[in-house]
Amino acid sequence: MIAIEARKLGFMYAGSSSWVLKDIDLEIYEREFVLLAGRSGCGKSTLLRCFNGLIPYFYEGELEGEVKVYGLDTRNHPPYILSQYAGMVFQNPDNQLFALTVEADIAFALENLSLPRDEIRERVDWALKVMGIEDLRDKSPNELSGGQKQKVAIASILAMKPKIIILDEPTSSLDPASAKQLIDTIAELNYKLGITIIIAEHRLDMLLPYVNRLIVMNDGRIVFQGNPRDILEKYDVMPYGVPVPRVVRVAQQLKKTLSGSTISRIPLTVDELVQDIRRWRSGK
Amino acid sequence: MIIFENVEYTYPNGFKALSSINLEIKDGELVALMGENGAGKTTLLKHLNGLLKPSSGRVIVNGVDTRHATVASLSRDVGIVFQNAEDMFFSPTVWEEISFALHNFGYQEEVIKKRVGWALKFMELEDYRDKSPFLLSGGEKKRLALAIVLAWSPKIVALDEPTVGQDVLQKEKMIQIIRQANQQGKTIIISSHDVEFIADLQPRIILMSKGKIIKDGYAEEVLTDLSLLKECRLIPPQMVSLTYELGFLGIKPHLGQPEDIALEIIRRLR
Amino acid sequence: MATTMMYIEVTVITIIIVVEAVLSAVARVFGRWSRTVYGASPLIVFVFLANFLFRISLPGHALSLQSIYESLQQAYRLIAFLASFSIFFLTTTPEELGMALTKMRVPYMYVFAFISAIRFTPILAEELQSIIDSQKSRGLELEKGNILTRLKRFIPILVPLMVNVLRRSYELAEAIEVKCFGAKKNRTYLRELKMKSKDWIALSLSIILFSLAIYFKYIYKINLP
Repeated sequence: MIAIEARKLGFMYAGSSSWVLKDIDLEIYEREFVLLAGRSGCGKSTLLRCFNGLIPYFYEGELEGEVKVYGLDTRNHPPYILSQYAGMVFQNPDNQLFALTVEADIAFALENLSLPRDEIRERVDWALKVMGIEDLRDKSPNELSGGQKQKVAIASILAMKPKIIILDEPTSSLDPASAKQLIDTIAELNYKLGITIIIAEHRLDMLLPYVNRLIVMNDGRIVFQGNPRDILEKYDVMPYGVPVPRVVRVAQQLKKTLSGSTISRIPLTVDELVQDIRRWRSGK
Repeated sequence: MIIFENVEYTYPNGFKALSSINLEIKDGELVALMGENGAGKTTLLKHLNGLLKPSSGRVIVNGVDTRHATVASLSRDVGIVFQNAEDMFFSPTVWEEISFALHNFGYQEEVIKKRVGWALKFMELEDYRDKSPFLLSGGEKKRLALAIVLAWSPKIVALDEPTVGQDVLQKEKMIQIIRQANQQGKTIIISSHDVEFIADLQPRIILMSKGKIIKDGYAEEVLTDLSLLKECRLIPPQMVSLTYELGFLGIKPHLGQPEDIALEIIRRLR
Repeated sequence: MATTMMYIEVTVITIIIVVEAVLSAVARVFGRWSRTVYGASPLIVFVFLANFLFRISLPGHALSLQSIYESLQQAYRLIAFLASFSIFFLTTTPEELGMALTKMRVPYMYVFAFISAIRFTPILAEELQSIIDSQKSRGLELEKGNILTRLKRFIPILVPLMVNVLRRSYELAEAIEVKCFGAKKNRTYLRELKMKSKDWIALSLSIILFSLAIYFKYIYKINLP
């Protein structure tokens, strides 16, 4: 089933004279794990904001074409409706937690939606459990580390039970170990709960093993999209500011020098490449 | 020359951020402080120009004990580019943003002109000299933050997490700039948890964890020590993980560019 | 607290302090309460001295036992005042205060503003510190020069602070938007304060005590030492 559909989408912020998004055609299906990559300023963040109605409802500007989220036209549905389908997690964890305890923060959106108290309690417990942060329930956000804050931010969105979660560079202020932990948790939401994930990130080495679809953007346009292995095999995406993992570069070089059959697929992890080399060596 | 002698630092709220830090950094060195967030890297950097004074022990920068000098006088020798330096702009133009520090340090007008001009050129920001700093892109802002510090030509340049929020092309640019400044004789101290970035720079690495230095050595030695990296909650560079797994080909764990490692694999396979 | 503002007589203040001591013991914060009050002793001494110096400097007032006594009264009153404040803040978290405001039917917009103010104050303080550190590292000396140049020196601190606050509020607005803020007219609450019988007792007792205080002060005036 199609979760998000964009047709001939273009956007220009009010007061600006250049299009930040140009001619975007895109279909995202339920349960997909989609990674958006490209240089800073290529339009990733703007595109994400078209998927939950922040554009055109919150950001003013000129919107061309159309975006539908589960069939709902984003022009006619405000963010509080669309957010129940496509929840969004932002880059800076401090700017998305408003309450004085973790529990209150996770309850916040549910309270705004006027859910009955018993249901709020149930969903808060559930979101804490899914994110593995039950021990943080009574803590103040000021006592948490960056990684913990970001988990709370995801839990607060998760509690709305959206079908899609959109994440805009959620790990950019985290150190590598916390980033890896967060990304692994996000992947679990995808394969355990079937939530569609759309994420803009620079940490391809951690994400690629989970991603079904890689979208490379440049200057407001989609340049490539498809299965990450195919894209990395066919195209040189480094000039577009995509941080191609180093194992992929090793494999590309191997392919170039040895005959094509050595490396049958583009490896996304160290383990995959090592397996391929072992296999080739024993088969020789 | 920078010397830390038995430095301890405890924040007013009682958090002990540094303990028994002993360290010597010579002129012209390229040094990286590595460790997870909260390991004490930024606290250590703030001791270089006296923003923080040790709770006990002492820090000596070019012969001056930081306890007896002002931040302004120490900053002439030590320029720090903070992680969020681009959030600290306030001037109407890029030119004025750079000349601010030079005015503070009391340079002559002609010298200021020359220095700002040089910094703009070095950072490829000449086209923006009369633009508002707020209108620059993320990468340009980072370069302006560097231009600001390099303009007064401090002997020591410290960079706090220079790659956070930067894309891969901006990181490559950053590596070039750092190498160039280091070749011009500047001592460079970088705090970072970006392992791949540091692996490319190949500096001396000071590994920190929970306010202590737990290893001081060169990149090749430190970044190939997997158990040590794990202790500091750092993820090894991908090429180290790969070469570690390639023992069966007779390859030893080491750093390197992917293309070189590929050639090495081919040599061993044949 | 209001009673403290009305009365200055030593007997009444003593009664208030004793009642507060009992209250703090009931709330199991007696130790911290007494430490807070004790911690304020420099302030109390200061108020005493300021009062005293002010009184003897007034024309026609010489150094007398009367002026010492009156200054002591003022300082004593301050103790009672601080003591009631600290009981309040030792027993009430900002969150509970927010819930109490909601219970009192204060519109949620204001409660939200109050909670955000508490949530973001430490973050802003941290941000201010990092701006100061950054500009000092660029050679800015805040302590130098006369008053005019000093004011000018605050521009490099105030401009980034304002820009950052603006940007932050924009990001916050965006984040509360996706959390459906204001989606429904009648918001629900996960946690709500409920008046229990002991709350009613406490409330009635304080109303009775307060009415007594008013009664003796304004209607049936009695003279106390």
